Amino acid sequence: MFTAALSSGLLLPRSAPPLSVTPVRMLTEEAALTPAPGESLRVEPLVDEGALVAQGQPLLRLRASPQIVLTAPMAGRLARIELAPGRRLVQAVIFHEGEARHEYPAPAAGPEGLRALMQGAGLWRLLRSRPFGQMPRVGETPAAILVMAADTSPGAPDPMQELRGREDDFGRGMAALASLTGTLFLCGGEGLPAPPDTRRIACGRLHPQGLAGMQIHRHCPARIEAPVWDIHAGDVADLGALLVGGLLPETRLVQVSGAALRETRLVRCQPGADLRGLCRDIVKPGPHALLSGSALDGGPAQFLAPRDRQVTVRPLASGPARRHWFAAALRRAGRPLPVIPTAALDQALAGLPAAALVRALGAGDDESAIRLGALSLVEQDLALADYATAAEPPLSAQLRAILDRIEAAEVPA
Amino acid sequence: MRGLWDRETVAMLLLAALMPVALAWLWYGGVPAAARLAAVLVVSGLWHVVFMLMRAQPPSLAGAASALAVAMLAPDVGPVALILGVSFGTVMAELVFGGWGRNLLHPATITLAFLGFGFSAAAWPDLPLPVAWAAIPAAMLGAVPGVMPARLLAGAALGGLAAWALGLPVVPLLPAAGLVLVLLVADPVASAATRAGAWMNGALYAGLVALFAQLWGQGAPVQIAVSAALLASLAAPLLDEIAIATWLARRRRRHG
Repeated sequence: MFTAALSSGLLLPRSAPPLSVTPVRMLTEEAALTPAPGESLRVEPLVDEGALVAQGQPLLRLRASPQIVLTAPMAGRLARIELAPGRRLVQAVIFHEGEARHEYPAPAAGPEGLRALMQGAGLWRLLRSRPFGQMPRVGETPAAILVMAADTSPGAPDPMQELRGREDDFGRGMAALASLTGTLFLCGGEGLPAPPDTRRIACGRLHPQGLAGMQIHRHCPARIEAPVWDIHAGDVADLGALLVGGLLPETRLVQVSGAALRETRLVRCQPGADLRGLCRDIVKPGPHALLSGSALDGGPAQFLAPRDRQVTVRPLASGPARRHWFAAALRRAGRPLPVIPTAALDQALAGLPAAALVRALGAGDDESAIRLGALSLVEQDLALADYATAAEPPLSAQLRAILDRIEAAEVPA
Repeated sequence: MRGLWDRETVAMLLLAALMPVALAWLWYGGVPAAARLAAVLVVSGLWHVVFMLMRAQPPSLAGAASALAVAMLAPDVGPVALILGVSFGTVMAELVFGGWGRNLLHPATITLAFLGFGFSAAAWPDLPLPVAWAAIPAAMLGAVPGVMPARLLAGAALGGLAAWALGLPVVPLLPAAGLVLVLLVADPVASAATRAGAWMNGALYAGLVALFAQLWGQGAPVQIAVSAALLASLAAPLLDEIAIATWLARRRRRHG
């Protein structure tokens, strides 16, 4: 009990709370299927460009594992599918048209039927498997699944609000997930229904306590032979709704915030929504950058990334940064720049031996990084430490390099 | 978006935290103290510039904090030896490792140890008591923003209390030991970086001071404290290793 109250973390500058706590339903005119940042999806189209599609209808399937499909986020016309060499998905854009919804038949009984439904209805990619932080492979069996009903990222909407009124769907989704794994964790979410053997984790209020990586590191460290999945509680409720009605929910709760906006806004929009459409009428004059995700870990994007539930709009610094060649030469000479182990670093990596981990990442020491728990982490988990210490190159990029190297060496193709 | 705690911010905050000590010392030391500080700053700054031009190593303000510690604590060895000692400490303990943040030991500790061992007949300074009192606000200014490890300071305080409770003659050493604690031991880079390691590091420093106080009757207070600081910072990586090994063992027991 005390661990939650005394948990470490950093107090971050708070963005303005949304003006209205009841979300507005807002379907943007365009939406797109995009890969998550750093994800490479080699796809095969199932629908021709220009065709009318229903919401939830399969649009693309993976070439390597054709059971896994990506589904249309809204009803409309498939405008274009952009592919990079190797048939890697860049984006598949849909223009809003009509209200048709695709209905899925009830799944076959048992975990295999559930897997097939999740893979066939596009819910599979809402799961994230650690180590390495990608969509789980088709036949992968997780050692544990962590459901995140808490989110401490700055500007993130409260998952409990998304679940209000959907407790039954959530309970059904939890019961279904429990059939896929031995151990089901629920992080936060007091009062939500869950199967009796679910392990409930109390979650601290300070960032980074509400990140799945920190909780996985503490409660069920991921190993290569024992992957751990995490999923947002809202997606679990979507699964429950799909199981009972055969329809994928049309919207998810998204908070749009940032210093370049006149107000913070809470919306219910489709997955893959067009970020410009979500904030066009509340953005302040002047150049701005649209980020899918929080101010700490978000990346510049045009469409909402698959697992994201927040949008950050940041003012762009006017004019290029002035830097003298001499200072630039000194900055570039000895990389990575040293990170001084202060209390800020320690709090930003709550519970991990921060200095040792930073040293292992900087030295490219795979064994030490694994020993200290790098396999449970993804880039998002080190974003706060990057922000706090202004590390150069970012610790998250160093972690990704190490994870990629471990994956190439250890995981059979 | 970039945060605050990069290397130079930490160095500036460290320097700011040491200001009470520095100002009190300059107030009581007058012109000779200021001249000594200026000389150490110039010699150490020169080496920083040499490494910047030849190895593209950006100089750090932390060099000023080390120079302050050397100017305050160095034995009375004469100018040539002082220049030699500062050069040795700055280059061999800090700059050859790649500058502040990559060093293992505090450059001022190495300078002082070099001068102490090399010129053992030189007299160690006797610092005025108000300067030692200034170590308390300095420790607070360092610990509150987290640039000095608060656990290390607390561990040292607990260790000192325990030694006093055991009846060891630590009281006459307290002023020198406190100053050396904030100037040399509580450096974020050269001390243990894990939580448990920082506690052990502080306690080890206090224990060594108490041990020397008991067994090394003729040592000057500053000499005893600097020797304890040297040994404690040599042991810091080992303490970190112990802390991480226990943490890993606990995790292995819990998670298999």
